[in-house]
Amino acid sequence: MTIDRVLWMPLIFAFLCLIPCPKRMTRLTFMTGAVLSAIGAWLFVFGTSWSPRVFAFNGNLMMDSLSAVFVLLITSVGVLSAVYAGGYLFKEGDSSISPLRLRRYAFFFHLFLFTMLLTVFSNNLGIMWIAIEGTTLASAFLVNVDDKKSSIEAAWKYLILCSVGIALALFGIILVYYSAIAQAVVGESGFLLNWTFLLSKAKQLDPQVLRLAFIFILVGYGTKAGLAPFHSWLPDAHSQAPAPVSALLSGVLLSCATLGILRFHILTTAATGSAFSGTLLILFGVLSVAVATPFILEQKDYKRLLAYSSVEHMGLAAVGLGFGGVLGIYAAILHIVNHAFTKSLLFFSSGHLLHLFQTKEIGKVKGIFRRNPFLGVVFFLGALAIAGMPPFSIFVSEFLILTAGFLAGKFLPCVILLVLLTLIFVGFLRHANRMTFGVPEGPPPIEEKSFLMDGVLGVGLIVIFAMGFYIPGPFQRLLLEAGRVAGGVIV
Amino acid sequence: MSPELAASAIHFLGMMLLIASFWILTSSQIGMSIRAYAAHSFLLALITAVIAVTNHVEHLLVPALLTLVLKTIVIPNVFFRIIRRLGIRKEVESYINIPFSLLLAVLLVFVSFYVTGDDKILKPVAFSEFIPLAISTVFFGMLMMTTRKKAINQVLGLLLIENGLFLMAITMTFGMPLLVEMGIFFDVLVAVMIMGIFVFKIRDAFESIDADDMTVLKG
Repeated sequence: MTIDRVLWMPLIFAFLCLIPCPKRMTRLTFMTGAVLSAIGAWLFVFGTSWSPRVFAFNGNLMMDSLSAVFVLLITSVGVLSAVYAGGYLFKEGDSSISPLRLRRYAFFFHLFLFTMLLTVFSNNLGIMWIAIEGTTLASAFLVNVDDKKSSIEAAWKYLILCSVGIALALFGIILVYYSAIAQAVVGESGFLLNWTFLLSKAKQLDPQVLRLAFIFILVGYGTKAGLAPFHSWLPDAHSQAPAPVSALLSGVLLSCATLGILRFHILTTAATGSAFSGTLLILFGVLSVAVATPFILEQKDYKRLLAYSSVEHMGLAAVGLGFGGVLGIYAAILHIVNHAFTKSLLFFSSGHLLHLFQTKEIGKVKGIFRRNPFLGVVFFLGALAIAGMPPFSIFVSEFLILTAGFLAGKFLPCVILLVLLTLIFVGFLRHANRMTFGVPEGPPPIEEKSFLMDGVLGVGLIVIFAMGFYIPGPFQRLLLEAGRVAGGVIV
Repeated sequence: MSPELAASAIHFLGMMLLIASFWILTSSQIGMSIRAYAAHSFLLALITAVIAVTNHVEHLLVPALLTLVLKTIVIPNVFFRIIRRLGIRKEVESYINIPFSLLLAVLLVFVSFYVTGDDKILKPVAFSEFIPLAISTVFFGMLMMTTRKKAINQVLGLLLIENGLFLMAITMTFGMPLLVEMGIFFDVLVAVMIMGIFVFKIRDAFESIDADDMTVLKG
């Protein structure tokens, strides 16, 4: 496998899904596509020596340990999400969504995976920008699958806000390019935007310009990553999208944007030799957690609850990146991975909930456990996990992030975070408790079992539980290497 | 072209560009703003071409040509098609009236010149007077996005921001690497298509294309 082939797979399957054929065939193509792309990507990541880097496409694409982690993340959550969607949207005998719409959905789903993979494989910062803008364009139609008023509104806000944000990031990239071109011969400009090249020449770049650039990048990609105060599109889009798409948006799209920020964070720190970008990341990270807290405590809609929790966790990851050092970066990346699996599990169970209760209001959901014991267990444990309860994986990474903070001597943000995390923990537990236990109201709906959907929940639960105790050897090596690559620069 | 002639041509074009930005912002009819946008893009293409010829950076001719084709012809035509199908004849609706947005725009131009004044961080390679122009174009776009009610005007604002950034890239660095520049053009074109589709969806669902009617989602 090579980088190109890993990228070609989802692109080819995107177009295969468009072929007009019966619903069952589209579903098969759609799900096999996700699985095959994932297997290809895994073979590539574990089968090549990615250390230190593999280049492709004239050095415009690259895989190092950082991108390898994200490739695994994108494809794994992608498979879970595709299989879940196979049961959720492609129901047999359900004519609420037309076959044409389903084909379009499958097409954009794979295109979305492709743009995200392109984002993490980009070495050329300009191509990374194009890919991130591509993720917005590909997922806008995924947010709005049913053409309801609220979905259209959410998709429109998502499109407009993220496009403006990303335009600001383009300004940042122009600034970086400007600082690079000031050092080089005009004309030989092809590789000047390559991250690896810039990093090797970091000391010669103008630190003032890079500081300015980082601010624009943080605002631009921060909009996409859901950092407060640029997060206002996020709860709308995540709550209106169908469950499998919410899982992808929340689990991996936010993570990809964070990787974009991390790349510039490394570059800025190397160029300025100061903690400027780290301090900004800590500031916006803590702010995100703080902004999310009241919305989590007083939330009335369970999908928005999960969305605000994503703002919180992206904030935590940003803080971890800001603390820096091998431990801080390692913890932040581990947190991103854990959040991706836990949050997608919760969004998947929100799909079940919507089928079971026909509402998104927390107040109207009662007694999940009595109606569907399996779902009750998954949802309750998932909520405990996302709130940061040991022994689940999120607890481990949160603990590591705070440890990194204390070791770096950043006591104030750590103390603030501890207070906020306690509040969020209580809030989440209260909501989960109220929803899971008690006696359900109204007549039970017609039971519709989907083996695929339940299977995804089971697998997700095992993953988040297992990751709390044991991270598989090769993956652990990858994470450590990623922490070392980035943390070696950011001290 | 002699250097003096080129320099004065560029100055003249820069002035016209600023006027075109004002024109977009103050047009009271949507069709007029689209024409103004086409004019703005046309001037941008000319500026790019002149810079390419006078500074012997021939690779800039490609983005100049693309700007000419896509932004002066294709995108305005897409817009005209959209408003024809939507049946809007009417004026631009704004939260603030046009004289006031004109006043704000003038202020923004002052701000752009102030923040990029001499001795600041940026020392552009080509023409320093274009930096404040580019920044004010970006500001104008943002002003349009925040004050206009119709979804379609918001898209126009976004395109104006993009024009500003393009000008910035041209004058500061002689444009981005060609591959990246092409990718950006592609993204802009796809974005306009997708947003156009959504404008219709908004019309069908809300029976108007006022973005401020979209208030279903809160909290």
